[in-house]
Amino acid sequence: MSNNLASTVQVSPLSEYVPELTGEQMIAANPYRPWAARITSIQELTATEKLFEMRIVDERIRHAFKHEPGQFVEVSIFGVGEAPISITSSPTKQGFIELCIRNTGAFTARLHQMQCGDIVGLRGPYGRGFPVEQMKGSDILLVAGGIGIAPLRSLINNIHDERSEFGKVTIIYGSRSPKEVMFRDQFEMWRHRNDFDLHLTVDYPDDSWDGEVGLVTKPFETLEIDPDNTFGAVCGPPVMYRFVIDAMRQKGVSYDHIYCSFERHMKCGMGKCGHCQIGHQYVCLDGPVFNYWEAKNIQGSM
Amino acid sequence: MLYRVIDATELPALVEAFMESYEVVAPVKRDRGYAFEAIESPDQIVLDYVSTIVSPKKFFLPPEEPLFSFDRESNDVTEFEAEVTPRVIFGAHACDINGLCRLDAVFRDGRYPDPYYCARRAATLIVGISCMPDENCFCHLLGSDEARFGYDLFLQDIGGKYLVSISSVEAANILEAACEVREATDEDRIEFRHATRRRQRAFNPEIPNIQEVAMLMDAFHEDDFWEELGGRCLSCGACAAVCPTCHCFDIRDVLEPDGKTGQRVRMADCCTDPQFALVAGGHNFRETNTLRVRHRFYHKLNGFLANHDRMLCVGCGRCVKACKANINPIEVLKFFARKGAEDVE
Repeated sequence: MSNNLASTVQVSPLSEYVPELTGEQMIAANPYRPWAARITSIQELTATEKLFEMRIVDERIRHAFKHEPGQFVEVSIFGVGEAPISITSSPTKQGFIELCIRNTGAFTARLHQMQCGDIVGLRGPYGRGFPVEQMKGSDILLVAGGIGIAPLRSLINNIHDERSEFGKVTIIYGSRSPKEVMFRDQFEMWRHRNDFDLHLTVDYPDDSWDGEVGLVTKPFETLEIDPDNTFGAVCGPPVMYRFVIDAMRQKGVSYDHIYCSFERHMKCGMGKCGHCQIGHQYVCLDGPVFNYWEAKNIQGSM
Repeated sequence: MLYRVIDATELPALVEAFMESYEVVAPVKRDRGYAFEAIESPDQIVLDYVSTIVSPKKFFLPPEEPLFSFDRESNDVTEFEAEVTPRVIFGAHACDINGLCRLDAVFRDGRYPDPYYCARRAATLIVGISCMPDENCFCHLLGSDEARFGYDLFLQDIGGKYLVSISSVEAANILEAACEVREATDEDRIEFRHATRRRQRAFNPEIPNIQEVAMLMDAFHEDDFWEELGGRCLSCGACAAVCPTCHCFDIRDVLEPDGKTGQRVRMADCCTDPQFALVAGGHNFRETNTLRVRHRFYHKLNGFLANHDRMLCVGCGRCVKACKANINPIEVLKFFARKGAEDVE
């Protein structure tokens, strides 16, 4: 008798149907929840900096993760805490997120001990990045100092991958010494390309250094730019901004065409905890990328 | 807005009606002051209190709150089930209701609604009550002497009866079931006018009314006054603890004794803490008390306004009493008043 029923198909009533949540919905349900990400590659850049490549484990979250150059993520190591880290990879690289991390405190020291295959937590991306769409069609002048190359590399690689969309591209990257120059392989590869005007400078050269010597503002002495058609992008230590921005202003670049990325300790990333406030702005919501006009209008920014 | 009138004698019945389905939190006498606490009987409520030591913000943003639990070995996150008690805050003053509306702007209405705050806010009814100012109240100078929204009922004392503004269905149902609700008469409306004017006249006239505060905060940003004010700051954080709108927090991981599991906890923080603007690598963006105190007032009296079109300070006067170093918005207003006087001479 049971054989007669063998072909019966169990159909769930429609009311029991629960649509699968999208990645965006999962993230919005609790924006404080980090999502597991696997470290897929670790590259030593300098004695103190490593480049971590990560992949978000949950497929839906991974697909929902879309960033723009200049944005940041909150990285979690459970039991240690959380830290805001700017994204170093270009949005054109999909499925993986690269973070360039300096070993500088308890959190980053722990991260530097981690191995490929280890799991960290990620949430984000947060903030407002560089206006890539607006920059298309213009010349781009990028100036990085030290660890400031980390967020700028996202923009540099984005420009590289969509090179025909941009005009003349000039990259000035200053480090203290040759040992501290990051992504040297990549820049070495581009050295003989004529679609990137590359200036690597160091303050203190050694015998191996055949690049330029001096502050990041030095290449400006010989730089020829079309000020009406140039976007500047600056990131580096706090003392660097004034000098680089002055140099750009002297070349005639408009206030609102100079973009700089600000560093603060964004603890929540969502405009609530207050730690990243400057004047009336939240670096995590309104920045971290501000143009110079906006920055000038923030009390306490420069 | 719907207005009705009830007799003052009906208030205990209203409180009891709320107590049937909610925890009722109301001002009660506590040591030398007043505090918002859960009550067991309407008799405990002191409705003519001047101000509580801390604001009712603690019911929406607890000083310490777990965000989720984690397991370090499996790297699993367990969603934290925030315990949300259906609650009535009975007897909140206009300044505190306005303070809550400021928190709504940050935690509920922005791009990233905070699930913990939103759950508590949605489960809480607010019953406001009119008040008379003491010498530290200056809500009228910041447009917070009247609550225009953010509450369910607002009771306006008009002498032996209350003119009740009703703004939610949930509260209207309870009010109508518990009290004899009648239409306001012309006499009630005139009583209301008298009550409002009595209140307006009762504010401390020595607190200067400075219209252009926000702009002055920019104009006098480099003035020595901030050094004088900052030099006194003890970085104790009492101002932020009592403030109805201060909401800065820190996020930390707290491990269980086994070291394997733990909770990510957010805890109240204060921008006058010396390490508040410290970043990795040791650079401190606000290194001195002067910079920190100035930033705090800048955010209260300018920064928040620029983003949300209202001041973050609601003039409740709590910090005036809480600060042992006499650093408070009244001092800032008086400084601007002095500057004005100097210019005239």
